[in-house]
Amino acid sequence: MSTSDPQQQQMIHEAMKSIAERRPGRTKLVYDKTRRTIVAVAEGTQAPRALNITADDADMFATLTLSTTWLRDHWDSLIRDGYAPLSLSSWDEGDALTHAALGVTPAASSAAACITLDPAFQVPPGTTVAIVLQSDSGGQPNAATFSSPSATPYRATAWRQDGDTRLALDVCFADVQPELATRRSGILETTVLKDKTVVLIGLGTGGGHAAIELAKCGVGNFILIDRDRLAVGNVVRHPGGISQVGRYKVNVIRDLILEKNPDANVSAHPVAVDYDNQGDIKELIARADVVVCGTDSRPSKLLVNQLCVEAGVIAVYGGAFRRAYGGQVLRVRPNQSACHQCFVAAMPDQASDVEVSTAADAEGIAYSDQPVAIEPGLSLDVLPIANMVAKLALLELLADRDSSLNILQRDFAAPWYLWLNRPEPGTEYASWPPLSESVDEMTIHRWYGIELPRDEECSVCGNFLAALAGNYGLNVDSLPDLPVSTGKDR
Amino acid sequence: MWTSEQRQRLAVEHQILQREGFDQFSVYHHPSDDTYTASGTAISNSGRRYHLYIPIPTRYPFQRPPLYVTDPDPLRLFNGSPVSTLGVSHAMHTLTPHAAGWPQVCHWRDERWHSNILLQKVFLKAHIWLEAYEQHLATGRSLADFVPTMTETV
Repeated sequence: MSTSDPQQQQMIHEAMKSIAERRPGRTKLVYDKTRRTIVAVAEGTQAPRALNITADDADMFATLTLSTTWLRDHWDSLIRDGYAPLSLSSWDEGDALTHAALGVTPAASSAAACITLDPAFQVPPGTTVAIVLQSDSGGQPNAATFSSPSATPYRATAWRQDGDTRLALDVCFADVQPELATRRSGILETTVLKDKTVVLIGLGTGGGHAAIELAKCGVGNFILIDRDRLAVGNVVRHPGGISQVGRYKVNVIRDLILEKNPDANVSAHPVAVDYDNQGDIKELIARADVVVCGTDSRPSKLLVNQLCVEAGVIAVYGGAFRRAYGGQVLRVRPNQSACHQCFVAAMPDQASDVEVSTAADAEGIAYSDQPVAIEPGLSLDVLPIANMVAKLALLELLADRDSSLNILQRDFAAPWYLWLNRPEPGTEYASWPPLSESVDEMTIHRWYGIELPRDEECSVCGNFLAALAGNYGLNVDSLPDLPVSTGKDR
Repeated sequence: MWTSEQRQRLAVEHQILQREGFDQFSVYHHPSDDTYTASGTAISNSGRRYHLYIPIPTRYPFQRPPLYVTDPDPLRLFNGSPVSTLGVSHAMHTLTPHAAGWPQVCHWRDERWHSNILLQKVFLKAHIWLEAYEQHLATGRSLADFVPTMTETV
């Protein structure tokens, strides 16, 4: 058996075709250690002194991924000018070249490229990658096939100039939205959330993760509000990484949303959630189908609650307990379920158990002569809460849509949800039985939906004033005038 | 600037103060600049008199109202120095003093305040603070030794 053997040549040819097409074949390639060369053998043949060669072993071409949307948008100019320039992100020392138009995050290095319909086209100086499209009406469509706006199929070939050498590239067209939708179809209808708007207030670990999960679900519009910048200490929890330190969290999360859903509309507002910005935040909330509030401070949560109740916008509040030993999620349907003020008034201890994860959180509960330390908490312990926030927000977005996920509405009917990561000493949960020994009793790592009646006399969503006055035999419409200051009452 | 709900709420709160044994305090309207204050003189168990003053914040009741002791002026510590020199103090349960130098009593922190809380409760807490303050004057120990860190009650 030598390489000049016609049968061996044919087997080599078939085996390489199978490898190139990543499909099983009748022959396979092995490295024959005795002969110190590659040979083709019939599939199933035992070759004791040989190494099997897989498609991955043979994967030598760098991959070039192009945006179908971009090419369709630039088709007219490509026809008119004969070529179109484009920029590629060059990853992993040129192993992957990704069309920069596909996303918002470029690689550290880039490559100038051009695409043309003319195989003899002379690429402009400085251009290192050339892509040639050739009509391919008779071929089988594959990843390298592009369908023009007139539905003519074109097959792409590409090469990169490396010194005097032209290196061939594998070309792959990415039609982003259909390919993303494929992974959701059947569970979450592909475009059902495209016109929905979520306002996320507080883009820390929980809010940030919830935002990205909603982007993966296909939510089309995001409004992000948070005044904080990403700090080094955030990185072990926050979706943003160390190379993003110093950026506003809203901008970090905006880019991560666009990495998951490139067609999303995202507006970022690096402003504080306080009464000074009440008017601006009110306008943003008015555009929301659902508000997700991930702030840790009570004043900010109560402000968001007040504005959402006034606007009639559903809000989902998520928060971790101190040291993230657990957390809770509250969904507020204005004037239908308990609002956050109802919750604070009814469950003051639970409402006060919040994580101290930032200097601002610590300042909010400490005296300056007795500081409170920022407490640790694991991302692993915050993510279950963030996922629940995202799930509840998703169900609210789907409530008026025809979706198979709406079967879950019955499972998530309760307004308040409790989750424990561990039986934290010093809490009422310390005596909970071990997860491994309990079936019927409450344990860690299970969600509990809890009924919480709306307070009809709530000062935000109820008739607090009339009820308060009534308790004292007063009528709010006929109250005596207040005494007028004489200036001596200070 | 003020909503009708805010004006009604302050009127109701004034009536509650008058009817519930807190008629040493009143809510006042200042027509010249359309502002509101609540104030009055608290008398401690020992008979000492303290003037308490609350400028009602424009976002009341969603914003916590600060409470200052304006008389005696200055209010002094056991060692004779003004309480306001402490600034924000856990030991004395005080917050940022007024620009005029009056000490601010910590009744609720912003992190614990919510809109169901009434001025009546704020003045009640101020009374408790004053009793603890007098214990401080008598013993020299910090006020925090006589009141727990105020828990959340409605």
